[in-house]
Amino acid sequence: MNDTIRRRHGGAASLALLLLLAWPAAPASSEGRVPVHARAGLDLSRAAATIWAPDAYLVYLENDEPLDSHGAAIRWGYLYYSPTLRKARVYSVRDGKILVAEDLGMKFEAPPIADGWIDSEAAYKAADEGPAREFVFAHDARLHTMLLLRGAIQENQPDRTTWMLVYTAPNFPSLFVVIDAADGTVLRTWRG
Amino acid sequence: MGHLSGCRAIMGLAALAVLVAGPVPARAQETEPVTVERLRPKHEKHATLRFLRENRDFIRARYDLLRQRAGGERGEAGEIDPRFLAYQEMLQDLFSAQGSVATQNDSLARRQLLASITELGSLEDQLDVMDSLLADQRTRLGVLQADFTGRQRTALIVVLSGYPSKAGVDRVTVTLEDGDTLTVPLTDPHRASLRKGGVVQIFHGFVEPREQVVEVAIIGERWPRGTKGFVTLDPARDRLTLLRLDLSSVGPEGGAASIQASKWLHDPRPYTGDD
Repeated sequence: MNDTIRRRHGGAASLALLLLLAWPAAPASSEGRVPVHARAGLDLSRAAATIWAPDAYLVYLENDEPLDSHGAAIRWGYLYYSPTLRKARVYSVRDGKILVAEDLGMKFEAPPIADGWIDSEAAYKAADEGPAREFVFAHDARLHTMLLLRGAIQENQPDRTTWMLVYTAPNFPSLFVVIDAADGTVLRTWRG
Repeated sequence: MGHLSGCRAIMGLAALAVLVAGPVPARAQETEPVTVERLRPKHEKHATLRFLRENRDFIRARYDLLRQRAGGERGEAGEIDPRFLAYQEMLQDLFSAQGSVATQNDSLARRQLLASITELGSLEDQLDVMDSLLADQRTRLGVLQADFTGRQRTALIVVLSGYPSKAGVDRVTVTLEDGDTLTVPLTDPHRASLRKGGVVQIFHGFVEPREQVVEVAIIGERWPRGTKGFVTLDPARDRLTLLRLDLSSVGPEGGAASIQASKWLHDPRPYTGDD
């Protein structure tokens, strides 16, 4: 990674320092549950969100349980924002059911995620066939977090919806991979 | 909560609506009993959006930056839903077919005057045309119903039935999970209707398609304060769930938890006229 990128992502690198020590080291017991990709719970969460607020739109999603090796998880969290209510509400979906529905409890006015985003499987493949594979093999790393949002990560293209994948490795800085959610192009990587 | 407050107007009307109907609508799916518990059921807490919460300051700071760089793209008008245009075309087709029927009717009158037995056979053809028209109309109405009433969002109706013999009820309150409390006063006509086997609708509104606890309380002179019952429901997505609270066997000693509750799903199939 060159210095320019390192400087540009100095703030982002600090993310890694905050990274989720509370997460389980290995995937939680799935109890026979089948991991699914991110789009699996989208319709259900949207149906609930539009009842909460008719103008609600999706602004963010993230895996709520550990990911498997193909970008699937048994639970995903979907965050919606309502301009009318000026509130955000999260729906966490597992096994085709909403397991958690709660207001976010903090200000989060984010732009809507653009339609047509690639699913977590395709985003995973884009990273795995690109910069992540070497990191995973070299450092015994694993895919820790996948999140989808618009604008916040790709600062020079704020209209772009991106996946961000975070790979963690014991005793090594994490690898961040940003992928264009429209076509799967790897936009940037950094360590931190 | 937004969705509950948004339904207040409906609820207000609903509270006045005394439905003198049987406890289960004719087109309903199987009724199943629901347990009314004395204590609110406890559920395991599940963490969600951990990365966002852990890194919220960073992500929010990035969004704050975005707002300072607002773009100037112009909005564009959306396309008209092609279904709305299709409805009109379907109606026009039907009108033109109706013209054919009118012509057929004129022809029929003339032929009746002739009273020719050989022409009676053509009556069948004309009836076929009318049948076809009726079928087209039914199709059109089916499309309309499917597009509008068929696009049911997740909703809940709560009705009362029966009336306790041991103590009068002044009010019933319903509280949805994360929601406001709706208080429904029971008037004399309500009570009379309940005693005669009618039902009173006390709530009709949208609910999230997820497992949730509905709190019910009965308020009256002889009822202990704070007597509540808790019903766990999992309203089916995009369906209308009906919850009936039968008060007939309820008494102050058992409180709201002694309500006999049952639920069923409204049958969304378009009415065909064959039932």
